[in-house]
Amino acid sequence: MKTGVMFPLLLLTLVATVLGSACSGSAPAEKPKIIVGSKDFTEQFIVGNMVASLMAENGYPVEKKIGLGGSALVHEALKKGDINVYVEYTGTGLTVMLKQPVISDPDKAYEAVQKGYKEQFNLVWLKSWGFNNTYALVMRKDQADQLGVKKVSDLSAQSKGMVLGATQEFIVRPDGLPGLATAYGFAFKDAKGMDPGLMYSAVAEKQVDVISGFATDGRIPALNLAVLADDKAYFPPYYAAPIVRQDLLDKSPQVAEILNKLAGKITDQTMASLNAAVDVQKRAPEDVAKEFLKSQGLVK
Amino acid sequence: MGYILSHADQVLVLTMEHLQVTAVAVILAVVAGVPLGILVTRLRWLYPLVLGTAGVLYTIPSLALFAFLIPFLGLGVKPTILALILYSQLSIVRNTAVGINTVDRAIVEAARGMGMTNGQILRMVQLPLALPIVMAGVRTITVMDIGVATIAAYIGAGGLGVLIFRGIASLYPEQIIAGAAPVALLAVLADYLLARMESALRPKGVGR
Amino acid sequence: MDAFFGYIVREPMVVLQLTGQHIILTLVTVGISIAIALPLGILITRYQRLSFLVIGFSNLGQTIPSLAILGLLIPLLGIGFKPALAALVLRAMLPIVINTYVGIVGIEPSVIEAARGMGMRDRQLLTIVELPLALPVVMAGVRTATVMSISIATLAALIGAGGLGDLIFRGIAMVDGPMLMAGAIPTALLAILADLLLGRMEIGLTPMGIRV
Repeated sequence: MKTGVMFPLLLLTLVATVLGSACSGSAPAEKPKIIVGSKDFTEQFIVGNMVASLMAENGYPVEKKIGLGGSALVHEALKKGDINVYVEYTGTGLTVMLKQPVISDPDKAYEAVQKGYKEQFNLVWLKSWGFNNTYALVMRKDQADQLGVKKVSDLSAQSKGMVLGATQEFIVRPDGLPGLATAYGFAFKDAKGMDPGLMYSAVAEKQVDVISGFATDGRIPALNLAVLADDKAYFPPYYAAPIVRQDLLDKSPQVAEILNKLAGKITDQTMASLNAAVDVQKRAPEDVAKEFLKSQGLVK
Repeated sequence: MGYILSHADQVLVLTMEHLQVTAVAVILAVVAGVPLGILVTRLRWLYPLVLGTAGVLYTIPSLALFAFLIPFLGLGVKPTILALILYSQLSIVRNTAVGINTVDRAIVEAARGMGMTNGQILRMVQLPLALPIVMAGVRTITVMDIGVATIAAYIGAGGLGVLIFRGIASLYPEQIIAGAAPVALLAVLADYLLARMESALRPKGVGR
Repeated sequence: MDAFFGYIVREPMVVLQLTGQHIILTLVTVGISIAIALPLGILITRYQRLSFLVIGFSNLGQTIPSLAILGLLIPLLGIGFKPALAALVLRAMLPIVINTYVGIVGIEPSVIEAARGMGMRDRQLLTIVELPLALPVVMAGVRTATVMSISIATLAALIGAGGLGDLIFRGIAMVDGPMLMAGAIPTALLAILADLLLGRMEIGLTPMGIRV
């Protein structure tokens, strides 16, 4: 019987240690805990880790919820307080969360989300980090050349015989496929939803004909893909900026100052090369984020 | 293996997260399931009702069950743990009930003859004798929970699924393996340890 | 009610089409799994050495998350139906292999002896005695495999293979309750229905003499 008691005791101790180690992490700090979220694609892993590293460097306890499954999901998490900061794009905030029509002027779009978020959700948009990660229709360069497709409108006549690869989110977003189809008169043969990371190789390997990629993705040049010009200016600007809960700023106004250090610091090209470092060179998003912050002298 | 070695810290942290979620879910599942299992042996008419419900819950695909719970519980660990508890009820309730019911009637009669009350019979005779069977259920759900918990990364519960999803997002097989190998290892290890406990808990003089 | 069925009512054709894709993926998976696993399960009852290997491998295989199997097949097979099918078959054949083996090995030795005594040859023994007696256990494996396939098939939406997972992932991404339910409810119903149906078959296939 003795061994019979030993085993459960052993297990209980083990469980207690495991649980204990989790709780002891939150040291009694006067600085509030930063819970940073992100969506489920590479660029978001990187910018999420930038927020985390930057805040940790400034002595804040940080918890990461990186890789949540979609824009509205992260937004809900922020509203509920499951997270208290993440990096969002102006166009997404405007059309998906505020359900407002597209504004093409980047500054006006920023002002609109800043105002709308404050009024509707009591959430604060900090300064934009500088890059515009717009949606872009992307094809294989050779096929685009062969078909003489340069702009999105060149595609509408041929769309009947083509298969679109897209994120599940894009297929149902108001500023995604539904609006795009109306604006350009598309009728794709099929729209295959998939993980954001798989679209680029899917189009490169001819499993789909067109994808709704992200303009700053490093795999577009790496896989010899071509971005089609959005000649009807359908897609709104998608400038990236951190959004923070008001209660976090109330507890610690410095959070805004710290995150605003990156304002305007990241160009489209910079973001594309950071994305490529993860997607093409297979480096960890944590490391890529930290290295960039180091190069800017923001962390040691 | 390259990724695991070069990111040992991260893999370790995620493994601990994974272990925590699973451990809490298993413990709570037992806390809820064993009394329920005892109850259905007392109130027989409840047995088909409870087992039927648990059976239906068990068949609901995990992604769907997580999805059902998000509107009520939000993201992260909470809906994950509840989903795992719900999944586990079939094994725990059934095994507890079966364990108690298969205790030889003669033994129960003997205990009653010695003047034991119903509560004493339960605590001193039926439960100890049923324990190995309950443990077998715990073993089943632990192995299952370790696997299902990987999908919970998608709704913010962390754990080793993070590496698998991320590996898919950047088409990086080494990273997928860095998530999957520890999951498999945890499952095998848990299975082995719990099998040892199962046989250790079998009272001397009973069976095999 | 709108929170649960709003989308299903508004877009019944979409739900129906995706349900169709889901069922096809599951059926093809289970079909191929049986075709591979049943012979394999029988084979290893004849070669003790092999059985250790295959059963050990199957047990280990069941601990590898299906999500990972799906992801690891992408570099080999790309996206879409094929890799989804391959991942599902890899997973679904395991319980059938194990149950076929256990079903046959678990038959009372005296029954086998009696059959041999009646002059049955290996082949007859298999088709007249072993398989019919093992069938309920095999069916239990098929049932597990089917319910599991319906569940894992939702993940196929991550790799462009369609099915009801499309609606679940879209619903999660957009926090659109009715859309999410339009994927989750039919998936759950499919699984419950398949379980019920195959459970019936399992009982129906149990030879009269050994029913409890």
